[in-house]
Formats: sequence, structure tokens, C-alpha cells
Amino acid sequence: MIRVAWRSLRSHKLRTVLTTVAILLGVAMISGTYVLTDQIDRGFREIFTDAYRGTDVTVTRKARFAGQLVGATEGLPQDMVEQVRAVDGVEQVYGYATGMGAVVVRGEVVQTGGAPTLFFSYSPNDLTPPDYVRGRPPEEPGEVAVIQKLATDERLQPGSPITVVTDDGAHEATVCGVFRFAAQSSLGGSILVHTTLSDAQRWFGMAGRISEIDVRAEAGVSAAGLAARIRAALPAYTEVKTGAQAAADQTKALSDAIGTFLRPVLLSFGGIAVFVGAFIIFNAFSMTVAQRRREFALLRALGASRSQVLWSITAEALVMGVLASTAGLFAGLGVAAAVNQVFRSGGFDIPHSGLVLQPRTIVIALVVGVVVTMLSAVAPALRATRVPPVAALQEGAELPRSRLTRLTPALAAVVAVLGALLIAGGMYGGGSTLVRLATTAAGALSVFVAVAIASRSFVGPLAAWLGWPLQKVSPVSGRLARDNSRRNPGRTALTAAALMIGLAVVVFVAVLAQGLKSSFIDSFDRTVRADYIIASTNYMTIPSDTERRIESVPGVEAVVSLDAQQVEAKDGVTAVVWGIDPVAIGRVWSFDWISGDDAALAELGRRGAVIEEQTAASLGVKRGGIVRVTTVEGRRADLKVLGTYRDPMILNGITVGMAGYDALFPKSQTFMVVAKARPGVDVGATQRAIETAMASVPTAKVRSTDEYKESTVDLVNQLLTLVYGLLALSVVISLFGIVNTLVLAVYERTREIGLLRAIGMSRAQVRATVRYESVITSIIGALMGIVVGVVFAWVVTTRFAGQGIVFSIPGAQLAAFLLLAVVVGVVAAILPARRAARIDILAAIQYE
Amino acid sequence: MSDDADVTIAPRPDPAPAACGAGTTIGLSDAVVQARGVEREYGQGDALVRALVGVDLDLERGAYTAIMGPSGSGKSTLMHILAGLDRPTAGSVRIDGEEITRLKERALTRLRRDKIGFIFQTFNLLPTLNAAENITLPLTIAGRRIDREWVGQLIETVELGDRLKHKPAELSGGQQQRVAVARALASRPAVLFADEPTGNLDSRTGEEVLGLLRRSCDELGQTIVMVTHDAHAAGHADRIVFLKDGAVAHDCGRLDRDEIYEVVKSLEDVG
Repeated sequence: MIRVAWRSLRSHKLRTVLTTVAILLGVAMISGTYVLTDQIDRGFREIFTDAYRGTDVTVTRKARFAGQLVGATEGLPQDMVEQVRAVDGVEQVYGYATGMGAVVVRGEVVQTGGAPTLFFSYSPNDLTPPDYVRGRPPEEPGEVAVIQKLATDERLQPGSPITVVTDDGAHEATVCGVFRFAAQSSLGGSILVHTTLSDAQRWFGMAGRISEIDVRAEAGVSAAGLAARIRAALPAYTEVKTGAQAAADQTKALSDAIGTFLRPVLLSFGGIAVFVGAFIIFNAFSMTVAQRRREFALLRALGASRSQVLWSITAEALVMGVLASTAGLFAGLGVAAAVNQVFRSGGFDIPHSGLVLQPRTIVIALVVGVVVTMLSAVAPALRATRVPPVAALQEGAELPRSRLTRLTPALAAVVAVLGALLIAGGMYGGGSTLVRLATTAAGALSVFVAVAIASRSFVGPLAAWLGWPLQKVSPVSGRLARDNSRRNPGRTALTAAALMIGLAVVVFVAVLAQGLKSSFIDSFDRTVRADYIIASTNYMTIPSDTERRIESVPGVEAVVSLDAQQVEAKDGVTAVVWGIDPVAIGRVWSFDWISGDDAALAELGRRGAVIEEQTAASLGVKRGGIVRVTTVEGRRADLKVLGTYRDPMILNGITVGMAGYDALFPKSQTFMVVAKARPGVDVGATQRAIETAMASVPTAKVRSTDEYKESTVDLVNQLLTLVYGLLALSVVISLFGIVNTLVLAVYERTREIGLLRAIGMSRAQVRATVRYESVITSIIGALMGIVVGVVFAWVVTTRFAGQGIVFSIPGAQLAAFLLLAVVVGVVAAILPARRAARIDILAAIQYE
Repeated sequence: MSDDADVTIAPRPDPAPAACGAGTTIGLSDAVVQARGVEREYGQGDALVRALVGVDLDLERGAYTAIMGPSGSGKSTLMHILAGLDRPTAGSVRIDGEEITRLKERALTRLRRDKIGFIFQTFNLLPTLNAAENITLPLTIAGRRIDREWVGQLIETVELGDRLKHKPAELSGGQQQRVAVARALASRPAVLFADEPTGNLDSRTGEEVLGLLRRSCDELGQTIVMVTHDAHAAGHADRIVFLKDGAVAHDCGRLDRDEIYEVVKSLEDVG
């Protein structure tokens, strides 16, 4: 039977290729995701293992609370190095300070594509052997060494000037050396800079403190034993680990980040692609089973049992699934390489080791491809088994109506209700985020299936309606296309449904993004009364003296610094505490109060706070209540809630006055400074004056409020483009589905086309007929996708109405998607239309 | 191999009724279709098939001609070539004075659209269009204005006034062929080619279609070429051309059914 299946596949090469590609692409996306994330995972593992190769024990400060940001610790006292050195079995000790900032070369901030710019104090030691390719490590204040990639990209060499920008301000420095880290010329786009210890302590506000102590054990001393002795000798706030453990922990932290974000995100796009592929396979098998009806009847007449007919089709699906998954697996390697290339060209150079093809990846790719293909073929195969043997003698290609046809509306309703229940459960029910997301996704898939089932009943009228203008434009091709698309509504419905899925997700994302943009703009317009916003372009801090620098600019009426730090506000719940000047804020900011009013600001003092509504809800506090916050340094304060306000975008946490902020935090950590021009002064000129004042700190970008709004909207748009790119695959797959359907339809209508050509239809008219039918199908798919996507988005925005997303329909974009669908239709029709136009008239009219 | 084939198709004297000339008649004064030395071969080498070995034929304007012959005599091939559906291996065909054997695809399409009407044995109608739409289809394809009066006259002629809104599936076989005749006449073609138009019909409905073709010729002056192996059908024609082994065996005037049987039988006996 496998051989029969193989023959059947070979004799319909085009159909086999088109159907196989449909599942292949989805499998490629999935296997590519695994290959890529495994490569990144192993790449980081190698780096960390190498970095800790010479280290037996590490000492750091324990995180104060769960969820604490990496690097947000107060570090260790510098003299702890001596304490550690005194422990028995220690051969060498090395303490260093780290921090984050930015580097400026020739007046331009060096962009990292989202990766951090990390500074380490460095002096030659045996634990982390120097890997200097040029120059030497920093010895004097103002000397820095840079990682090789930065030196190459920015053409830096020993002696080049460079500016280091930290919270402490801008610092002129000189490059003294170029090094590699763990034998890598770059580290995932991160910029690494070596400084002297005293510079690091000064720039990062760590006077007398260091970030980490690394220890080398004497020969023959076990790392674990030494770690235990050091732990016993040090205060409880320290975290003592073996070097191997530290490398494993750092690898795990990154793996977890990949495993809980990058991998599931990419996999879900792969999943959508596979789902679309399943529709196409189902449709392809339904169509071929209908075509081969007499063949099956003949087999049955010759004595084949139903199960043999069933097996002959499932065997075909099996062969196709194996082919597609195997090809998809290898195509996945290409996908991984391509994504890597995209990251790299975006400046985000993820470390990755060579090809990683784990057995798990192979198993998943094969199982997904084969199982999905076979499941999609089961229903058509079952229909084939019900062809009666007598059909071998009858004309016509009608399959016996499925016993379920009568139940179709009921079935659609049941699946739709199931989907709605799942979505409701996922959105409003309990359970972990993962479970809720999975439930919602399952609900969404059910809704897609329900719409696909139900669509066969409205595809006819819809096609008639859509075809009407085509018929007006082109009385023959338009008319025939309109009729053809209604001849087999089930087939048109399924073909359109495949496109619907991809487009629905695209529309859903577009509507959500539009909602995000609208609510951001809306909230921004309601609260911000300033003319200028000074902030970094990548949500990093800006120097703390920014406020002071701007205050003295002529024409500036008011300046407020918005400082922020992370705290624990409830067991296991972190929040952001914003510090503001409670008097000046009123001149640049208008709180959107829910409870309380501007009078609350005057009462903030040292122990008062106003809270953004979502934060208040997650902490379970109201006006008049108390929030107990714990800082990274372990300071505690009970803050009295004086009011709550709406602000999903900027001050989205606990806002306290400067006095309260300073009482909690040893450093200011400024994220944003807002300023307002004096009435009557030239707003543009004043902006230029502020830019001049900030010229030495290019990390802090001076923007008018409108520019700031635009750049935030741009950011959302960039993300949107990325998501569209990932969804494009699903749309491409559905395009293959349309091609497949049209090729089969053209084949079935060979005689009709021959007749039309015989009575004078031109090839161009034949092509137009196919093209119009394709466009009608794709527009139906797009309309269904738009409706479903908008409904999904409405459901989600309704659920999360309080969290800053409003429901807003991007009309122009939806129109663009419709246009895209027309393009998909036209492109999908190219091959089938050409085939139709090339039909040999003589052969066609003599056919059968 | 080809030498052997030449031997088998050598002309031979056949017994035939008085109305028949052996070989072909050419040089008619008003010929709509002129075929000269038409040959058609399929395949090559051992598989070479010579479907037509040199046909000369003139078809007079306004005449109703039947082409007959045993299976494999080349009658369908000849009709396809005369109608521009197939190209001869050698020879020339003129329709309404225009040489068609070397026309490009576009010009051939225009020829079929403007000069030629077709009626096939089966599958003449588009299943998605109703009878009236099928009749006007060639005009719609050509983008020509529909002459209501002419179409009305056609509908009257084919006696389908009450079934115009029906889809082909709702019409009987005879009704379908009558629609096909009206469709073929709608564009006022120079020649109407009919390929076994009654082959799929019972004798009564077949008679309706044949009568209709006869009237089209008599009342509308339509030139008709009909390929058939049915003696009764051929009996309606003004002229019957008998083909055998790819060449014209007899060219006769009007014959009755018995005379036709006689010629057919004589051709088969010799073969």
C-alpha cells in the first residue's frame, strides 16, 4: 500500500509538492526555532563555562527579593576580599566592580540593539587571564580597554578617545587596550569595557564596594569544600558558589529567558503555520478523494475492503507527512541561520555554537509533520471509504454527502461555543499564565475551525456579492469566476479559511497595537503638560545631573526629574517606585486621578505615596491603605496611599515625593526629565538650548513631547513589523493552498475551458477567469480574517481594558490587509491561470 | 513502413450511386472553406499514424455538408483542421478567404470567435450559465453588442422560449443540443461545425436537432459542416463527403438512407 501511495503521489507531482510545502514550512519554523534556541543556549553555555574556567569559588551579594533585577545590588564591601583571602585553602582572590552605562565615540552613542553595555573593573590576575589582542589593561584613571568587536566596528585603537556615560555623568577616557572575552570577539552584541577599580567605583556610585569576588583554590583543595568554608566565614547576605555552579546558574538564567520567551514566541508562530498547513492538507485530500471517486469505487468493486481504501489514503498522507517533515527539518536549519543573520544585521550578535540538531528537535519535527498530515487526511479518507462500488459505473464526481453534512450548522455551533468557553476560561479563569495562554489559544483555534465549518454556508452569497463588480468590469471572466467560486462552496470556504487564520492573527495584532498606540497617546496627552522630554532611547538611565543642567537653560520654566527604582511591595511582587518633585510636578504633569486629587501631592512628605491603578490592584491597596516596600539595599518603609491615578505608560508604579525617595534609596537613578518652556519663549530655540546643555551626554536625547510620542509609536510599529514578518509565513502557506485549489479546479474544468476556447475565448480571458476566482477566494479569506481578528482583539481589549489598551480599529491598515489579500490572490493565480490558458482545446473537447 | 501505408491508401474504383463522384470536387465558385493537400500525421517512427493523406475539399457557402466515414477514416481530424482547432502537417485551409493554418494563437482565437460556430457531441454548455446566457456566450466573450432581435429569432427557431432561465442540468439532452445550436448560430459564423451532434441523443430528439440544423441552412443560409457516422443524420445534408483512410473516397450530392448505407457498406467491404 505504501508503494501504491508513493505512485499516486508521484503521478500528481504538482499537487504533492504544493501540499507538502504547506506542512513543510510550518515544520521548518518549529525545527528552526529549536535549532536556533539550542544554538544560542549552547553558545552562552560555552562562554560562561570558559569565563569561569579559572574560578573555583565566587562570592556575590544575595538578591534581596525574588524578581530583583540583575545587577541591581549594592554589592560587597571592598575589604571582604581580605576576609576571603584569609580562608584556609584560598590561593588567589580577585574582587571587581561592574556597572552598566553607555559609550560615546566621536559624539555618537554606540548602539547595541538592546544588549547592555557592561563595565568591569579589571586588573591582571590568574583567575580571568587577560586575553588582550592589543595594548594593555587599564592602569591609570581615565584608561579603558574595549572588547574587540567595538574596537573593530568603531575603529578604536590604543590612544583613541572615548566617552563613558553613566548615572554619574559623562567621563572622558582613553582606550588603552583591546581584548576578547572568553575567546569571543563579541558577546551577543553586548559591549564590554574594562576600567580601573577606582573609576568603576566612582562612575557607578560604588565607593568602597565591589560587585563580585572570585577565588582560586590551592592545588588539591576541592571547590565545594572551599566554598563551604568561605560561606562560613562571611556574613549571611553573601552568596557563595563554586565557579562551575556560577557558570551553570548564569547559563540557566539565560536559557530560562530563551525558554520562556524567545522559544515559545517563535514556536507559536510555527504552530499557527502548521495549523494553516493542516487546513490545506485537509482541503487537498478532500479534493483528490472527490476526483478519484471512481478509482475507489473500482477498487471496491474489485473486492477491496473499506479499510483497504482507508489505508491507501492514510498511507499517502503518511508518506507525504514523512517527506514534508524531513524536508522541513532541514529547512529549519536554514530558518535558524536566516534568523541568526537577521539578528546579526540588527547589531544583536547572539553567540551561537555550530549546528545543534538535538534528537528532540528531530522527533518533534517528525511527529508534528506526520501527525498533523495524517489527522488532516483522516476525514477525507473516511469519506472515500463510503463510495459505493456501483459508483465505478456512474458519471459525475459527486461524493456521497457526508453523514455529518446535515449536522454541519450544529457542529459549527458546538465548536464555536467550545472555543468561546475556552477563550473565556483562558481570559477570566485562574491558573498559571502558561495554562491560561494555552487555553485561550485552543479556544482561538476552535473558533477558527468553527468559522471554517460555518463559512461554507455563507461563502456562496459572499462570492456572489464580491463577484458582482468583477462581472460589471468583465462580463465573461468576471461572471464565470463568480459562478466558479460558488460551485463548490465547501472547497472555496476551506481555501479561504486557510488565509483567514493568518490574516486574523495579523489583524488581531494590528488592532491591539493600534489600541496600545491610541491609549498611549491618549494617556500621554491627558497627563503630560511639558514641552520637552529628556530620556535615553533604550529605556536606560540618564545621568542624575540632567535636571540640574536643564534648570539653568534660559527660557525653561520648570524641570522635573523622574527617578525610579525597583522594590518589593508585597511578598514576591516587585514594583517600581518613582520619585518626583511634588511641587514642581504640577507644572509639567497632570495626574489623571481616580481617587484623591492634586492636594495629595502636597502631602506626600517622607511617608506618603500615590499609586497607579493597576499597581494598586495587583498590591490590593486602596486610598488610605499602607504599602510596605523593601528596597534592594534592604531598607523598608510603610507608605500611606494618598490617592490612585491612571497612567499605564510612564508613572506605572508607586509615586513618592523626593523626600520619600531619598529616604529609601542611596542613589537617584534618573529615567526621564520633563521640562516646560516659559510662556512666550520660542519653543524650538529653547529645545536647541537644552540640546546644547546636554551635548556632552548624548545618551540623554532631548525631544519635544510630540517627538517623544512619535518615537514611542515608532517603537510599537517596529515590533509590529517583526510580528508581521513572522506571520507572513502563514500567509504564504495559505497562498500555496489557493494555488492547490485552483490547479485542481482548472484540471476538473478542462472540458469547460476547452469549450470556451473553442467558441472564441482568448487565453487572456481564461487567465482572467482563474485570477478573478482566486481574488474572490482571497478576499473572502481576508474578510473572514478581519472579522475574526477584530473580534478577538475586542475580547482581549475588553478583558484588559484597565491595563492601558483601548479598542481601536486601524481602518487604513485593515484596508491595506484587504489589498494584500488581493495581491495574494493574484499571485496565487499565476501558475493555475497559465495552466488553464495552455489547455489544448482539441485534447480538452475529446477528453473522456 | 511508410511505403506500406502508401500502398494501402492507393485510390481504387469503388461502386457508388450515380450522384457520387470518385475523389473530390474542387473549384467551386463560392467556397467558404477551401482545403488543399491537407495532410496530418501523428507520432513518428514506428508509431507514425497518417490520419489525413492529402485532402482537397471546397465547401460552398450556404451548403449543408456531411462528412462520413468509418472509425479512423480521419473525419474528425479533418473537421478539427478545417475549424482551426488543429494544424495540418502539410497543406492549406482557407476560411472565408483567410489562410488559417499558419495563424498565430491570437488570430486563431479571433477566427473561432468571429467566423466559426461549434456543436460538439456532448458538453456544449457551461453548467453554471442558464440557457439564455449560454446562447449569448460567444457574443459576450467577443464583447459584441447583443442583437436582441437576432437572438429572439434564434430562440424562436430552437423553440426554447420557456426554458431560457434553466441551467443545462435542468434541460433534456435534446434541449441542451438545441441550445448548443442556437449558441453556435448566435455569432452568425461563416461556418458551423457540428461533431456528431446527435451521437448522444435518442432518435426522436436527434430528429429535432437535425431538423433545426436543416432549417438553419434553409432559412438562415447558414453554412454547416457535420461530421457523423449516422446515415440518418447524413441524410439531411445537401452533400455527403465520404472519407476512408485519410482521403476523400466519394463526394456525393443528396442521398437517401439506403444509398448512404450502400456507400458505407462498400467502403467497409473494401477495407
